[in-house]
Amino acid sequence: MTAIADVRTAPRRAPIRRIVALRPVGRGGRPTLAITAATGGGLIGLWFLVSSLRLASPLFLPRPDEVVTQFIAVATDGYANATLFEHVEASLARVMSALLLAAAAGIPVGLLMGMNRWVKGVLDAPIGFYWPLPPLAYLPLMIIWLGIGEVSKVLLLTLAMFAPICLSAQAGVRSVSVERVNVALSLGAGRGQLFRDIVFPSALPEILTGLRISVGIGWGTLVAAELIAARRGIGYMIMSASEFLATDVVFVGIIVIAACAFAFSAAMRGLEHWLVPWKGKS
Amino acid sequence: MLTVRDASVFFAARDGSEVHALDRVSLDLRPDSIVVALGTSGCGKSTLLNAIAGFLPLSEGSIRLDGRSIDGPGADRGVVFQKDTLLPWMSVADNVALGLKFAGVPLRERRRRAGELLRLVGLEAFADAAPYELSGGMRQRVGIARALATEPKILLMDEPFGALDSLTRENMQELLVSVWARTGKQIFFITHSIEEALFLGTTVVVMSPRPGRIVARFDLEFVRDFARDGSVGAIRSAPKFSEMRETIRNIIHGFDARMGALQ
Repeated sequence: MTAIADVRTAPRRAPIRRIVALRPVGRGGRPTLAITAATGGGLIGLWFLVSSLRLASPLFLPRPDEVVTQFIAVATDGYANATLFEHVEASLARVMSALLLAAAAGIPVGLLMGMNRWVKGVLDAPIGFYWPLPPLAYLPLMIIWLGIGEVSKVLLLTLAMFAPICLSAQAGVRSVSVERVNVALSLGAGRGQLFRDIVFPSALPEILTGLRISVGIGWGTLVAAELIAARRGIGYMIMSASEFLATDVVFVGIIVIAACAFAFSAAMRGLEHWLVPWKGKS
Repeated sequence: MLTVRDASVFFAARDGSEVHALDRVSLDLRPDSIVVALGTSGCGKSTLLNAIAGFLPLSEGSIRLDGRSIDGPGADRGVVFQKDTLLPWMSVADNVALGLKFAGVPLRERRRRAGELLRLVGLEAFADAAPYELSGGMRQRVGIARALATEPKILLMDEPFGALDSLTRENMQELLVSVWARTGKQIFFITHSIEEALFLGTTVVVMSPRPGRIVARFDLEFVRDFARDGSVGAIRSAPKFSEMRETIRNIIHGFDARMGALQ
């Protein structure tokens, strides 16, 4: 009796519920942004600390604020015969034109290779031969054949970017389910309609993945190619700076490259989100 | 009318040997009928459907639709698979109207027809939704509407409700019967559920595996009773229904026993 009375008069506490979920595999989709931001801040802080305490020679490791100052100087006064903007512009023009060429060739060729036995049979050998080669290995050949101008660099990039686009378009065709095609045929689809309304949209997610990979490859190849043979471009700027041990300019170049690559990758993800919102949902 | 005469199919197995998938199957599908092929997996029922749809040529025999021999898929035979085959980049209405687009019907007319068909399957509110926003049962309804859009002479359904939970499945069976009663389409339906076969079929053919052949055939009235009275409970609990269920179960299990004895 008294026990019951005690329970009734005990102050009511707000219930503390234990919210549960299945144990996740790996990180299980929990957010990582804060950790990433903290790590980034920590690294910059470490850089500041090491360079301010002169633990490394300023010749090898400039302070972050020195790099910022140099960034402004390079952006306004220029370095190696051009402003920062002109260097970036030259590099971007090369990557963008190569991307357009590689996509314009790689998407139709890859789709045809996926659809047609003869096209696949003929092109498998040459593509299989050249695409595992590091592009810098055949850059000298490009220069011998086409000179040191823009053509050789753009063609080098186009070749490097063509293969992943082409292979992903083939994989896209392979991923089209037989049922999907059969249903379309039983709805009266002709060959052209089957390709336009079923095969191409089904292959599009794979194609976009291929474009994303190829942009990464293209950007990496570009900078390397500019280190060897260019008069303008962000890679050329880094190379010139290193010859004069202008480490702060090298840092500026690296940061600009990182920013460009990040912007490209974000743009590609945006494109994917816009063109194939259904990806992974069916 | 669709006539299947002495249809046989041989596949090549991986080791090069022949697999006898369908053995001299003959079948008539009359207008206004639902023919259900019932059997365990491997009994050749999907092979038969693929042949009627035109996805698979026959090794021997013939399939004719209104006297014309079938030599490939076509809009006169609508197909619904178990796996949902809606296109995720199109809205529900555009999926329904896909066959009309292939036929060159103008957009405005396509929209109107899609709206009508979505009303028929009770999904008029979801015309602009994306397929992946719908439940499994709703997607199969869209699939049925899409197959009806080109006004095929016959609807071919390969275990269309096989992946649905049993409650949704019953709703879908009722929906199919009401669509059938309203449109008078002839339907060829494949299932491995005896109850589903009894409930839907005006004719049920029982098939047995290795090689796939028809071993029994029943003409039934349950689905017509349901279309008239609309009472599922009365039909499923009728003594005739459970009697027939036992008869067919014995045929299929008897067959299993014989197969066991052979092994």
